[in-house]
Amino acid sequence: MRMNKLFRSIVLVLFLLFMLVPLIATFLFSISTRWDRTILPEGFTLEWWKKVISRGAFGLTLKNSFYISFATSIALTILVTPTAYWVHIRAPKSKVIFEIMSAFSFGIPGVILALALIRFYSGIPVPLINTTNILLLACMELCFPFMYRPVANALDSIDIHTLTEASQSLGGNWISTFIHVILPNIFPGIASGFLLVFSTVFAEFTLTNLLVGARFKTFPIYLVEFTRFDGRQASALAIISFVVAWVVSLLLLLISGKRTITSDNLTIGH
Amino acid sequence: MAYLELKNVHKTFGNVKAVNDFTLDINKGKLVSFLGPSGCGKTTTLRMIAGFEQPDEGTIQLDNEDITIVSPNQRDIGMVFQAYALFPNMSVRQNIAFGLKMKKTPKVEIEKRVDEVLEMVRLKDTAKRYPHQLSGGQQQRIALARALAVRPRVLLLDEPLSALDAEVRVALRGEIRRIQSDLAITTVYVTHDQEEALSISDQVVVMENGVIQQVGTPQEIYRAPQTRFVATFIGTANQFFGKVGGESEVQCSGLSISTRKLSDFTKGQEVVVLVRPELISVNTSQPSADAGNIIEGIVETVTFHGAVTRLGVHMNQQRVVADITVNSAESISLNQTVWLSFKPEVCKVMAVAE
Ligand SMILES: Nc1ncnc2c1ncn2[C@@H]1O[C@H](COP(=O)(O)OP(=O)(O)O)[C@@H](O)[C@H]1O
Ligand SMILES: [Mg+2]
Repeated sequence: MRMNKLFRSIVLVLFLLFMLVPLIATFLFSISTRWDRTILPEGFTLEWWKKVISRGAFGLTLKNSFYISFATSIALTILVTPTAYWVHIRAPKSKVIFEIMSAFSFGIPGVILALALIRFYSGIPVPLINTTNILLLACMELCFPFMYRPVANALDSIDIHTLTEASQSLGGNWISTFIHVILPNIFPGIASGFLLVFSTVFAEFTLTNLLVGARFKTFPIYLVEFTRFDGRQASALAIISFVVAWVVSLLLLLISGKRTITSDNLTIGH
Repeated sequence: MAYLELKNVHKTFGNVKAVNDFTLDINKGKLVSFLGPSGCGKTTTLRMIAGFEQPDEGTIQLDNEDITIVSPNQRDIGMVFQAYALFPNMSVRQNIAFGLKMKKTPKVEIEKRVDEVLEMVRLKDTAKRYPHQLSGGQQQRIALARALAVRPRVLLLDEPLSALDAEVRVALRGEIRRIQSDLAITTVYVTHDQEEALSISDQVVVMENGVIQQVGTPQEIYRAPQTRFVATFIGTANQFFGKVGGESEVQCSGLSISTRKLSDFTKGQEVVVLVRPELISVNTSQPSADAGNIIEGIVETVTFHGAVTRLGVHMNQQRVVADITVNSAESISLNQTVWLSFKPEVCKVMAVAE
């Protein structure tokens, strides 16, 4: 027993080290005066942080990244949640199509996806090429499985058929059933989908760079550009990027945590 | 005119004929049970009444209005599910108020009605709780209250008690019957439990393989089964196969059974004689001839059933069961020879379909 416990603690510590050391090192680097000749930094300074934050591009790229991340997450939530519900309840056979679609964005390398999208969108009469909207659409395609999977799992974990029928027999139509009965019970799934999409888009580089890189600079692009001439300022940016993703996660977990207490009722109630 | 009418309703899934030419009239305020083994089409029929399934053929009328293709949320038909199906994200009060909200009932009225139905199911103090904080029996009572709050025209219950344990089941079925007759609400109750159906129904519809076998009061179904399926599915019946031998006699292998006058049968016709175990007397010595049919056999099994003891008696390659009271069971032991006797009047003779 004791050995077991010890072993578990060791694994946990090693894991935390593995996760945290690069982060701490990045942070230290971003506040060090110089750190290339010695084991520990030679001195500490906030100069790099001040420099990087005071640039006009900093605010702009951060704003752009927030915009595209939120827009993608919200658009996917609105698009995927009702669709997944409808597919599960009315067309369960076409679930397969959704599974295959989910595999696409994993199976196709970002470069190919970007080029394919450019070719596709330049071939349709809607003027999308060279607009931010093309990035939004591309990110939605890329992140579709991150939204669909958790929502589909949440739908599978409750008895949506009986709940829907109970609601209908009480006079509820499709929309009120979806809003009042289904949504609250799959909220944790939606929240984690939102979170996954948000953090993926916030860190997305390949698609953005190829599709709109020259005109619409996002935070990761800014960051990559910085690594070319100053690693310490880039490190400061990386830390900021991490903190943003972390804070958004925390907020969402907080919200969905509150909801989970009530949605647990279902699984236990049955 | 009946209140709820199903006319020649058919429903097929793939190559399974789930419901076959189902025609039934249900009068206002009555409790009608659909009774039959699992898979006989009870749920499918109920779901067609609710509007969750569409009949392939036939019509369904409610209060002289054809509702065959009306969508479920427009039918004013309440439903109680086997799995309770309470909304887990809502408190008991919110669950019950849901239907009224959908109907845009004024707030004050909603509060009043929720209290009313909570009172009815005797769960007033659970209003603020969530479904997972209730027992199965309580959840089902809330589900009933929720269905009743909107005052539906018809109440449907699909095996509402089968997820509950025996004690709760018996108590709750009495409760359902009490509320149903207090409100005089037209109710269809689906069950595979004959005791449940017989104890609470005004009418019982016995089904097999998607076909109605018999419709009648519980007494009629039990005392005068019209098909062999009904006779053997409801309660227990001994079956003696044979041919009509005389005007009130059936010839079985090595045994002649005297019956009522067999005016509906022709001589030599293949028939089965059905006798309920409780109508057979067990004698430890040979009775006089006026006891009716007498069969000699050997006691093979003695099974205690509480109020009665059931004997399995071997005679002539056949097992015959007979029920006796606990007192008289004391004088009977295994492998003993006994004489079973039953009057010609208790024999039910039915043709055997080829
Ligand atoms: N949605 C469905 N798809 C295919 N077959 C079904 C469906 N619903 C019911 N059935 C079939 O129809 C028959 C009747 O089912 P059901 O009405 O549920 O019976 P019961 O409620 O009496 O047990 C069964 O053979 C069942 O397998
Ligand atoms: Mg059923």
